[in-house]
Amino acid sequence: MPTTLNTLRKIRQAVDNRPAEIDDLKAAGAKVVGWINYNVPEELILALDLVPVRLGRGGDDHLVEHGSRWISTKNCVYVREIVGLFAENEDPYVKATDLVAVDATCMQVFRAGEVVQHYFNKRIAILGVPRNFATPEGGEYFRHELKHFAGKLEEFAGRKLTRSALADAIGLLRGIRSGLDELYTWQAADDALIAWEEVLDVVQAGNVLDRRQYIVLLRELLSELQEKQATDEIRDKFQDVRIFISGSIIPPGDRKIIHILEDLGARIVGDDIWSGLAPQLDVDVVEPTVEAIADAYLGRVPHGALPYLDLASDRRLANLGKLLERFQAHGVVYHTLRYCDPYTFKGTETKTVLQNKGIPFLELHTEYASSDQEAIRTRAEAFVEMVRNRNLIEA
Amino acid sequence: MSATFAEKPARKLFEYPESLREAFIRTEGISFGNGDHVTSAEIWDYMTLEAPARFPHSFDTRPAYGGRLSSDVEFFSGIKRAWFAISLKDRALKASQLGVPLVLTQGGQTMEPYYAAGGIPLRPGLVMQWARDMQEGLSLRESDARGVEILEAGRNRVSIDACNQIAAHAAIDNGVVPIALVAPYLALRCSDMAYLTESHRNHKRGIPLQVVDFPIDQEGKPWAADLVASELRKMVAKIAQLSGKKVTDDDLWENIRYANTARGLAREIHHLVWNAPELPINSSDLGAIPHLANDFQGDPVATIQLLHQIRDEVNARIAAGVRGHGVQKDPKRLFICGSCVGPNQHNVERSGGYCAGRDDSWNLLTLEVEENGDPYQALAESILSYPYEQPTEKRADWTIQAARDSKARGVIFMYQWGCNYQSGVSRMISDIVKAKTGLPTTFIEVGELGRSEATEQSENRVEAFLEMI
Repeated sequence: MPTTLNTLRKIRQAVDNRPAEIDDLKAAGAKVVGWINYNVPEELILALDLVPVRLGRGGDDHLVEHGSRWISTKNCVYVREIVGLFAENEDPYVKATDLVAVDATCMQVFRAGEVVQHYFNKRIAILGVPRNFATPEGGEYFRHELKHFAGKLEEFAGRKLTRSALADAIGLLRGIRSGLDELYTWQAADDALIAWEEVLDVVQAGNVLDRRQYIVLLRELLSELQEKQATDEIRDKFQDVRIFISGSIIPPGDRKIIHILEDLGARIVGDDIWSGLAPQLDVDVVEPTVEAIADAYLGRVPHGALPYLDLASDRRLANLGKLLERFQAHGVVYHTLRYCDPYTFKGTETKTVLQNKGIPFLELHTEYASSDQEAIRTRAEAFVEMVRNRNLIEA
Repeated sequence: MSATFAEKPARKLFEYPESLREAFIRTEGISFGNGDHVTSAEIWDYMTLEAPARFPHSFDTRPAYGGRLSSDVEFFSGIKRAWFAISLKDRALKASQLGVPLVLTQGGQTMEPYYAAGGIPLRPGLVMQWARDMQEGLSLRESDARGVEILEAGRNRVSIDACNQIAAHAAIDNGVVPIALVAPYLALRCSDMAYLTESHRNHKRGIPLQVVDFPIDQEGKPWAADLVASELRKMVAKIAQLSGKKVTDDDLWENIRYANTARGLAREIHHLVWNAPELPINSSDLGAIPHLANDFQGDPVATIQLLHQIRDEVNARIAAGVRGHGVQKDPKRLFICGSCVGPNQHNVERSGGYCAGRDDSWNLLTLEVEENGDPYQALAESILSYPYEQPTEKRADWTIQAARDSKARGVIFMYQWGCNYQSGVSRMISDIVKAKTGLPTTFIEVGELGRSEATEQSENRVEAFLEMI
């Protein structure tokens, strides 16, 4: 669906220009921190005047194959593609990265970090993450870890963190997160001018763009939506099947199930994936200190790779329920990548939980190869049809 | 008319020669922590009469069966070790009926806290076997089929991507075995344990759950040890709640002393074997020792006695110049890396090799827990020092030393299908070992954890590797 929004075109242009900008920054002495996983706080990277980029792509079977030669065929395709990116060394952000920061949320990603360090001579900084994110002891451990990690970043940057620089970075990222949250509300509206996939593109543009330029563009996009909502002719209404995407990561480059669902006339209205909305939610840094950042990250929606033993009080599932309501979703497509155990092992359980609430659920277990495209299409089509019929009956 | 499968005569089972009975029953029996004592005569009768009838699969002799009994029938402490393993089912059931909580834990991790809290820890491999043995009289093929049935029930409920250890979790959920608590360490040795533990939370049985966090990149970080120590306290409290025991530091120290003793004996036995002019015991008998010394199979007191007997018998064999049955002259020694699985040791020996050691379980036996200060802190610091759980480059350096100590001429990294963490570093460890030592290395994926069929592919690869050496 071609966009009618000028700012989206500007954002895409900015993404196209970014590799050359980073080259210029590096030529002028800037250092790039490429980070992978979920819990690396960009606040620290920005406050040290380092250039943050979130690394990782998906959807490229060739890179998966390349990566699996160094890691293994029993790692998830996203992890294999990360390793493939380093092995191939053509991705501009991988090439530009001076330090790879990896948090140990998903341990497969941590393993990928070890492989990258060993075979591709990349400098690595590890941030330990407690499995028990919700316990006081886990919190205490994470605060220590983040202080230690901050020390490594300071050493790499050759400068110390200051309260004012931290306050600036915290404010900047707070603004970005709140803007993205607002954008998600826009895309879910009945007469939305922006589609969920476009919002995902905007979120993922934020992985690489200069964060100060990014927040300006984000605000401009929100203003444009406000203006056009009031004055422009509204685009064709979307179809009536509102789908929510949950499960494994959908990184830049991986659009297989999204395009299948769109081709089938379904409308995606929200997600809780770790490359989408989830990292933007519930981050409340109350003061410009490393400890406060640690506490804020502990308060976020926990990642599925952190096991939680009590179903009734699981915040990830509670958040899923809240978002389904917020985005008025009719059904959930639970996307799992082969060998992504954290999300795959929760598939049946999530289905049970949602079925108890009367919410239709479809798990799509896939890889980046195209060989399962039609099998997925058949299953997705049946699901969309079923939800559509259900909506008609309920209407 | 040819016989149908069901009508085929039963396969001849492995037998201990009656001519050895007299010598065997003159050896020491085994005493347990609760005061029970089993004589050697009782062990002999169990292994020659009762066990073959109740667990015929354990006595199967087909080459594909990697878990078959050691053929070294004159290594009497080896027979006792086999008895200790096969009779675990009865001991565990009896303990459970007496109110002792049986706890599913992670393999290859230290077990003192579980015993100190009045529980019995069982790793997934033991629970998987126990679940099969709840139905007695099964042939190897029938036992395999039962195992697969339990395993697939688990995969249906949780995920097709789960490794074979899901059979242990399914057996618990389905009430096949009376496990009272699932409480593993979440170490890097296993990618499935965390999520399989979590998966119980949605099951109607409502089994209690607890995990012990295992921080990575832990070196030089006192806060990592603090976290593990507090997690151990919570786990001990949870087990104690079930056992009704009031756990003191002395209980911890007592079990730490047991474990340190067992570790010391296991190290001594390994060094005796590695440095003997003739290898005095075969790969099966040697390979069972790290597991025994690590998890105690239900009773630390009995385990230590057994290890003493093994050590003494190994010494006697070395003095007499005896070579273990099945071991060829100057075999090609292999050091094995990776979790849960290893080559079929009988077939390695048939091909002129010898499994001289493996990092799984053995690595933690190379360390002792400091016997001073706070016992939880001492355990935590030891746990965080396990070579297996270090950053991979450091683990590879430890592997090199272990391969040298065992005089290995090749290193095989083997991992089970579905294991994301071990598979992910199999190449790296193999490459580092090869680059730094010149030893040939390889890495092999297998799917036969807990199974004894369709093993030809991995057999072929191990054989080819041995031939190449």
